[in-house]
Amino acid sequence: MLRNKKTVRIALIATVTTALVVGTTSTSVSASQAAQKKLTIGFVTHVVGNPFIQQIIDAAKQAAKDLRVNIIVTGPSGAEADAQLTAAQSLVASGVDGIAISVPSASMVSGLNAIIKGGVPIVTFNLLQTGVNAPYVGEKSVESGRILGAAIVKKLGGNGSTGNVILGNCFPGFPVLENRAKGVKESLAKAPGLKILGPFDVKVDAAANFAAWQGLLAATPNAKALIGLCAPDIASLGKVAAAAPNSKFVGGGYDLTTDNLAAIANGTAYVSLGQTPFMQGYAPVYMLVDSIRKKIKLTKQFLNAGTEIVTKNSVQEPFGLRPLSFSSLQKMSANPAISRAYYRPLVKGIIKDWQKNLEPISAESD
Amino acid sequence: MSQLECLTLVSFFAFIGIGNLSSSSPESRNVAQRGRSNIKFRAPEETSVVIALLALIGFVGILRPNFLQMNNLLNLGASYAITALLAAGLVYLLALGEIDLSFGWILNFSAVIAGLSMISGIPVWISVLIGVLSGAAMGFLNGVLSVVMRLPLIIVTLGTASVYQGTSLISNRSGSVVPPIEITDQFFFRFFGGVIDTPIPFLLVIVILVIILLHLILHKTRFGYRVLAIGSNVEAARLAGIPIKKIKIQVSMLMGGIAGLGGVLFLGFRGAVDPTTGAQVLLPVVAAAIIGGTPLSGGSGTVIGALYGALIVGVIGVGVVFLGIDAVWSTLFTGLVIIIAIGIDQLVRIRRKRT
Repeated sequence: MLRNKKTVRIALIATVTTALVVGTTSTSVSASQAAQKKLTIGFVTHVVGNPFIQQIIDAAKQAAKDLRVNIIVTGPSGAEADAQLTAAQSLVASGVDGIAISVPSASMVSGLNAIIKGGVPIVTFNLLQTGVNAPYVGEKSVESGRILGAAIVKKLGGNGSTGNVILGNCFPGFPVLENRAKGVKESLAKAPGLKILGPFDVKVDAAANFAAWQGLLAATPNAKALIGLCAPDIASLGKVAAAAPNSKFVGGGYDLTTDNLAAIANGTAYVSLGQTPFMQGYAPVYMLVDSIRKKIKLTKQFLNAGTEIVTKNSVQEPFGLRPLSFSSLQKMSANPAISRAYYRPLVKGIIKDWQKNLEPISAESD
Repeated sequence: MSQLECLTLVSFFAFIGIGNLSSSSPESRNVAQRGRSNIKFRAPEETSVVIALLALIGFVGILRPNFLQMNNLLNLGASYAITALLAAGLVYLLALGEIDLSFGWILNFSAVIAGLSMISGIPVWISVLIGVLSGAAMGFLNGVLSVVMRLPLIIVTLGTASVYQGTSLISNRSGSVVPPIEITDQFFFRFFGGVIDTPIPFLLVIVILVIILLHLILHKTRFGYRVLAIGSNVEAARLAGIPIKKIKIQVSMLMGGIAGLGGVLFLGFRGAVDPTTGAQVLLPVVAAAIIGGTPLSGGSGTVIGALYGALIVGVIGVGVVFLGIDAVWSTLFTGLVIIIAIGIDQLVRIRRKRT
């Protein structure tokens, strides 16, 4: 007992001493930074450790470097909206000048609007809640669904094709994903012989996602196409196809992560749509810094991040960017510096002139 | 953040574990009592946790003075109030030697039921009561299933967690439940949501009052003594005539009711409930209860300690943001401090039992 008390006392003295030493160092660094008035942007994602989100984060860090501002990236390890909102509120209390945040949940809306009302500007990206009074950078979700659906119909043989098509949604009820599903169904409806099964809940976690798709194919082994709406789907569909070589389904989905591109490269998946993560990371930081420096008031509007369409034989990039080969795209997916170089025209064009390129928020679901 | 700051943080978190061990176990209190039988004042068993909490706040505050602003501390308290409430309820189950894995989904479904009731036209306060009672009913079901099937609660709630989640998703059609403005303009939402300004967030006040009540029940009522007795030695409790099955059902129902209360408070605080609300509360709530000094082995528990444990979890979570620790590192730091605190506490308990 006495030994424990002594241990506690020693630990207390040592820790307080260390804290004072470190604190003095930190204070002096903070003071010098304050003297330079370098802006600090908080960048809050709905999840960390996700390859697609990491592409967005890499682009945000590039923007901070180019604009010579500090950036603090934070977010919950699991998709936990309340923790994400608390993180944003903590960033505001710590003194950040602006916040870029993805908004997966309606329960975050009132808290974020309170932050905006308190004078800290916000730009949202990737996941939209229309109740937040801030601009949003993301894809046109219904339109991207139409593009995906049309690519699948074309691959299956056009409007005369027949058979079952399984649709999977990793987050049922989420507005952006429901919009994608709506667009996919609109395109598939042009081929009346195609029967849509689902959307089924295929989960977000990689292992659960794979298991869900495997189960769906086992239940409908003659399915002509399996279409996912989320980032983990393509990689899962590739593994499912590799495990069931007799099944000749066409796999389609979203996002251009390294795993997804590998599945397309080896032919186990057919098409994946990208939503230009570079834009979704770079543009919010740019818009925040620009609005703060030039005292521009941000309002609820939409900046289209564009849609990329990728098959093994073709890479179509938005905004008139120069053609890209599939192997170059694969290198880019794993290297932020190569992405930065490729998307430089976007930085000098649509991102720099973001105010001119804003549309009404309703355009997101056109 | 520099490497020296990182190393200092980890060392400090180790201190939290050391600080937590010094007086958190009943054995240490007994030793203290024998040695100090003539001294009337005895420091509460949660003293070490409070010291750890204050030291942690002070540590982050030294590095980032903005952290110590009263608005920030109160906002932190409000943000983690529901975690504290759930942890306080979980103390009863831990004291009984049980654990419930479904309380996050009970919170979710209770909030959904309350929200849908409001939207359907039922008065707000009646809907709030319906939400709380729904939670209690789900807890009751957990307890009955556990008793009837003669299974530990952890096994039963592995299944009921999915049942409540699934039923919630069917009810809300996998979407958020967002009461319209004519409902959220009413007093309940304005008060808990912070529209009506109060010196201390009302959510925090209510949770603290409930926690005090739970503390008194556990330590000053026959029901509480029975819970602790069962957790200490179930056979002795049975021989003493304590109705173990009845108490188990009552505690499960209590936990469900508390989760239901947490759900309606969340709805009032945030103004909406999402399909994933409550999905990730299990780990921080269990961590809060254990860091606060309640052992997993049963037989004792500290409800007030659970409050402090939740605040420690909150200070860690908010502290990593204030200190600018990158998202990739923050999960590591959060996990490290929890493991160190729990691990050291457990090692000391084992050593004390041997001596």
